[in-house]
Amino acid sequence: MNQAKKKNFKIEPFKHKVEMDPKYAEKTWKILEDAIHEIYNHNASGLSFEELYRNAYNMVLHKYGEKLYSGVVTTMTQHLREIARIVEAAQGGLFLEELDVKWREHNKSLQMIRDILMYMDRTFVNNFNKTPVHELGLNLWRDHIVRSPKIRDRLLRTLLDLVHRERTGEVINRGLMRNITKMLVELGTNVYQEDFERPFLDAASDFYRLESQQLIETSDCPDYLRKAEKRLNEEIERVAHYLDSKSEAKITQVVEREVIGNRMKLLVEMENSGLISMLIDDKYDDLGRMYSLFRRISTGLQTMRELMTAHLRETGRQLVTDPERLKDPVEFVQRLLDEKDKYDRIIQQSFNNDKMFQNALNSSFEYFINLNIRSPEFISLFVDDKLRKGLKGVSEEDVELVLDKVMMLFRYLQEKDVFEKYYKQHLAKRLLSGRTVSDDAERSLIVKLKTECGYQFTSKLEGMFTDMKTSRDTMQGFNATSAGTEGNEGPTLTVQVLTTGSWPTQSGARCNMPTEILAMCDKFKMYYLSTHTGRRLTWQTNMGTADLKATFGDGNKHELNVSTYQMCILYLFNQADRLTYKEIEQATDIPALDLKRSLQSLACVKGKNVLRKEPMSKDISEDDVFVFNDKFSSKFYKVKISTVVAQKESEPEKQETRQKVEEDRKPQIEAAIVRIMKSRRLLDHNNIISEVTKQLQARFMPNPAVIKKRIESLIEREFLERDRVDRKLYRYLA
Amino acid sequence: MAHDRVHLNVGGKHFVTSRTTLANAGRGSMLAAVIDENWQLVPDIASNELFIDRNPAYFTVLLDLLRTGELHIPPGMLEKPLYREAEYYGILDHVKAARKGPLNGNRLDCVASISGRATGDGTAIRASPDGGCCVAHGSMVHVYDWLMEEKTPLTLDYVNVNDVGFLSPNRVVICTGERENGAGGMASFNTKTGKIEHKFQVVHDGESKNFTAAALASNDIHVYASCRGRSYEYGVGTWDQITGRQVTFLYEGPGRPLGDACKMQWLPRTNLLLVANLFPSSDHCFITLLDSRTKGKVWSWTDVALRGTADEKIVMDTVAMEECSTVCVVNQFDNLGFIDMRTNNQGVRWSHRYQPSKISEAEERCYSKLACSGSQLFSSKNDSVYVFCSPDWDASKGVQTARLRRKEGGAISDISVGGDRLFVLHNEEDVFDVWETPGPSQIVDIY
Repeated sequence: MNQAKKKNFKIEPFKHKVEMDPKYAEKTWKILEDAIHEIYNHNASGLSFEELYRNAYNMVLHKYGEKLYSGVVTTMTQHLREIARIVEAAQGGLFLEELDVKWREHNKSLQMIRDILMYMDRTFVNNFNKTPVHELGLNLWRDHIVRSPKIRDRLLRTLLDLVHRERTGEVINRGLMRNITKMLVELGTNVYQEDFERPFLDAASDFYRLESQQLIETSDCPDYLRKAEKRLNEEIERVAHYLDSKSEAKITQVVEREVIGNRMKLLVEMENSGLISMLIDDKYDDLGRMYSLFRRISTGLQTMRELMTAHLRETGRQLVTDPERLKDPVEFVQRLLDEKDKYDRIIQQSFNNDKMFQNALNSSFEYFINLNIRSPEFISLFVDDKLRKGLKGVSEEDVELVLDKVMMLFRYLQEKDVFEKYYKQHLAKRLLSGRTVSDDAERSLIVKLKTECGYQFTSKLEGMFTDMKTSRDTMQGFNATSAGTEGNEGPTLTVQVLTTGSWPTQSGARCNMPTEILAMCDKFKMYYLSTHTGRRLTWQTNMGTADLKATFGDGNKHELNVSTYQMCILYLFNQADRLTYKEIEQATDIPALDLKRSLQSLACVKGKNVLRKEPMSKDISEDDVFVFNDKFSSKFYKVKISTVVAQKESEPEKQETRQKVEEDRKPQIEAAIVRIMKSRRLLDHNNIISEVTKQLQARFMPNPAVIKKRIESLIEREFLERDRVDRKLYRYLA
Repeated sequence: MAHDRVHLNVGGKHFVTSRTTLANAGRGSMLAAVIDENWQLVPDIASNELFIDRNPAYFTVLLDLLRTGELHIPPGMLEKPLYREAEYYGILDHVKAARKGPLNGNRLDCVASISGRATGDGTAIRASPDGGCCVAHGSMVHVYDWLMEEKTPLTLDYVNVNDVGFLSPNRVVICTGERENGAGGMASFNTKTGKIEHKFQVVHDGESKNFTAAALASNDIHVYASCRGRSYEYGVGTWDQITGRQVTFLYEGPGRPLGDACKMQWLPRTNLLLVANLFPSSDHCFITLLDSRTKGKVWSWTDVALRGTADEKIVMDTVAMEECSTVCVVNQFDNLGFIDMRTNNQGVRWSHRYQPSKISEAEERCYSKLACSGSQLFSSKNDSVYVFCSPDWDASKGVQTARLRRKEGGAISDISVGGDRLFVLHNEEDVFDVWETPGPSQIVDIY
C-alpha cells in the first residue's frame, strides 16, 4: 500500500497526458471546409493540394475521421442545396443546360475533394464501412438535385417533352440530352431506370398506341408497315444517340408491341392491301418488310403463316376443283406449277427462305392437290404432253428443270400408285407410237421416280424400255430372214413384242385383220416362236398403226397414217364403195366403242375425211352408211388420221382404272400386314392400321376400311387370328 | 522534355523527377493527385518547386521504387515508418508487391515468429486476405495485421471458439458454441475497433433459435456455417455478409450430414461448397460438395462402408484442390490420400509415403493439417510443414518438394494459407511462424 502510494507519487508527474491543442480539430477542419467552399466557387487556384492533403491526413491520424467525414457530408450538402436553388430558378429551356453545367462542375469539384480526402477514403472509410467520397458525392447529388421534389418532376417532364418533340419532327439538342441521361446512368442504373426509363417507355407506349390507331385508320397496309419500320429505326437511332444502350431492347419492344403486335390481325387482314393482296400482287418489298417486322413479335410469323396457308388452300382448292380448269390437264398442271413458282419466289425473296414458310407451302399444296382425285392422271398427262412435243428445241437443263418441278408436284401426291398406272399407259402410248421426243428425258424422269419411290416403283417402266430395244433387234432379225425369201411385195410389218405385265395391255382387243396382214403376222409368229420357244404371242390390235397408200379420184395419191382398226375398215373399201355400219362391224369384229371412234375420225374430221357418212353428223349411230370419199384431197402427201382419242379418260375408263388401282392395292396392303405381323407377332387393330399406313404412304394413302377388309381376308386364309380374350388383338400364325 | 519535369521539395530536400514517374503511382495515389491538372499546379514562384512536408529519407526510397519497380531499403532504415510513408503517398500496394512475391512453397522464408501471451492451446490460425492473421485461443481471438501488429483482441464472453474466418482484412467471423442465454453462435467483428458488427441468427419457422456454429466458409457475398440447433435443427446456414441476414438454411438429411461438419471450404472456380464431417465430431467421415445455387449435393465421399478393416484409416483433415480436381485427405498416421472430384463414388488413393509411426499415448499428439495454394499442397507433421507440388491435373502424383522447419516451437497444431503467406501455429508454446516468398525485386542489403 505504502509502496504503491510512493510509486503513484513518483510516477504522477510523468502520467501527465500530452493534450493536443483542443481547437486543433476545429482549426484543421476550418481549413478544409474553406477549401471545399473555394473548390465549389471555382476558386481553387490559390489552394495547396499538399497542405490540404496533409491536414486531412492529420485529422484521420488523430482520430478525427468521423468529424472530417460528417463535415464533408454537411458542407457538400449545403452546396448542393444552393445548386438546387439555382437549377430550380433556371427558366424554361435553360433548365437542362443549367443542370448539365452544374453537374459537370460538381463532378470536377468532387474529384478534387476526393483527392484531398484520399487518405480518409483508404483508411477511415474502409475500416468503418462508410461510403467512399466519390460515391457519397454522387448519392448526395442524386438526393438533393435529381430527386429533389421541385427538380425531379420537371426534369422528367422536360426530357419526355424533348423526346416527344423529336418524335413529332422537331430538332432538339441531342448532345444535351446525352449528357443528362449519362448523368442519370452514372448516378446508378436504378436512378436511370426509375427516374427516366420507365416513364419514358410508358410515354412511348401511349404515343405509339395513339399514332398507330390513327395510322391504321388512314393508311393501307404497306404504307403502315413502311411507317412502322421508320419509327422502329428512329427509336434505335435515338438510343444510339442519347440513351443508355440497354434501353434499346426495351423501347423496340414497346414499339413492336404497340405498332405491330397489337395491330397484327388488322394489318394482315386489311382489305385490298393486307397480306393476301401482297401475295396476289407479288409485292416482294412489302412482304419482306412485313416478314422482318413481324418476326420481332413472338406470334407474328405464325399469324402470317396461318393466313398464307388459309389463302393458299382456298385458292388451291378453287383451282383444282374448278370444272373449267379440268378441261385441259396440261393447263391445269401448268397453273399448279406457276402457283408453286410464285410462292417459292416470294419465300425466297421476301421471307428469307424461312423453313416454316416452306413447310406451310408444301403442306398446303399437299392438301389441295389431293383434293382432286384426278391430279395423278393430270400430272402424268402433263408429263406426256411435255415429252411428246413440249420439249422440242429446249435445252437439256430446261428439260431437267421442268421434270424437277413435276417431281415436286409428284411428291405431294398421296396416290402415287395411281400416277404410276397412268404414267405407264401414257408411256406405252408414247413408246409404241414412237412419239417420244427425247429418250434421255424419258430416262431422266424414270431415274427421278426411282430415287423418289424406289426400284419397285419403276421396274416395270424400265421393262418397257427394254422391250422396245429387244423388239428392234428382233425386227432386224426377222427382216433379215424375210429379205431372203422371194416374192415379197406385200405389206411390211413392224412388230413390238411386249412383255405381259409390264405394259398396260387389254386382253379383250380383237379384230379380223385383212388376210394379207394376217399372213405376215403368222410369218412373224413362226419366226419369233422358232427363236423363243415356249412363249405365247397375242396381237394387241388396239395399239398398232399402219401406213396405207390410197388412190382417190383424179388419181390423187396419198399415204394415210392410221390405226390398226382404221386400216381394217379401209381395207373393206377396197372391195366396196359403200358399206353400212352393221356390215363393217360384222366384217371387222372391232369392239363397238373402238369402232365408233375409228369411224368418227375417218369420216367426221374435216380435211381428213377419207370416208363420207350418210347422214352427215358428228356422231356415229348404228344405222349410218359409209361411202368412200372419192373427192378427198389434201395439201400433204402424207395424211395422219389420228383416232379421236379422248386425251383424258372417259368416265367408264376412269372407273376402270380406279378399280384396277384398288385391285392392285389389295396385295400390297396384305403384304404390308403380313410383314408387320411377322415381326410383331401380336398387335392391336389401331396399331396395325397406323403401321400399314406408315409403310405404304410413300405410294398411296390406304383407307382404314380397306385395311380392315384385308385383315379379315387374311384371317379367313389363316394367316392371322383374333386373340381369344381380347378381340382387338391379332396374332400372326406362322 | 522540360514540361515533363517536376521539382519537389520534400522536407527541405530537393528532388527532380518526371510526371511519368509520379504517374506510375496510379491515379488513386497522392503523388498522382499532386500533379493533377485539377490542382492548377502553381509552384512556389521563387523556387519553382512543390513542397511536401514529409521525411525525405523515406521519400528517396519510395521514389526509387516508382522509378525502378524495386524496393531498396538502406541499412538501418526501419520498415514500419517506410510503410507509414508509403501509406501517406498512397503507394503501399507498390511496396507490398515489391516486398512479397506470390506464395511459392519452394521458396519460402520465415519472416517472423510471433509469440503470444498465452501458453499453448492455440486452437486455430487463419490467414487474412491481405497477409494478416488471427489466432483463436480458447475464448479469445488475437488479430494481427499484415505488419504482424496485434489489434484489439476479441473476447467472447468465455465461450470457446470453434472456427474463425476473415471476410475482409477488417472483418472476422467467429463461430462458437451456444449458450442458454442466447449468447454464442456466430458473429462478425470489426478488427479495427474490436466491436461486433452482426450477430448471425438462425431462424427456424420464423423463430430465432440458439445454435452452435462449428465450421465456416465464405465467398464475396455470403457466409456459410455448419450449425447444430438444440432441437436437431442441423444443417448449413447461409448469411448475407453486408446485412448479416440469413439467406437460406439447408437442413441435413439421411446420407447427407451437414450440421456436425468441422471443416468447410468455398471453391470459387466451380461455385461449390465443401462440407466435411470428420472424426472426432462424427463417427464416420462424410465429405460433400454442395452446389451453391441449387443447394444440391453434387459430389460426396464417405468411409461408412470401409470402417472396421484392419488398418483402419480415419480421415483427420481434408482440403479440396480445385485446380487439380482433387480432394486431399490425411489420416491419423499422417498418410495423405487423394479422391477424384470429377466422379462420384471414388475410392481414396492413399500414398504410403509415411509409415504408421508409433504413437506414444503419453504425449498429446498433433494430427496432420492440410492447406493448399494453387497446385501446391501443404501438410504439417510434428514440427515440420511438407510441401508437395502436383501436376495440374492430378494431385496424387505430387512430389514432396520442400520441408519447412524451425528449431523452436515444437509440434504444429494448425496451418493456414492466405494473403500470399503461410501461417504455422505451434502447439506447445503460443507462437506462430509467418512464411512468405520474397518479392522478385526486393534487394536485401547485406552490409
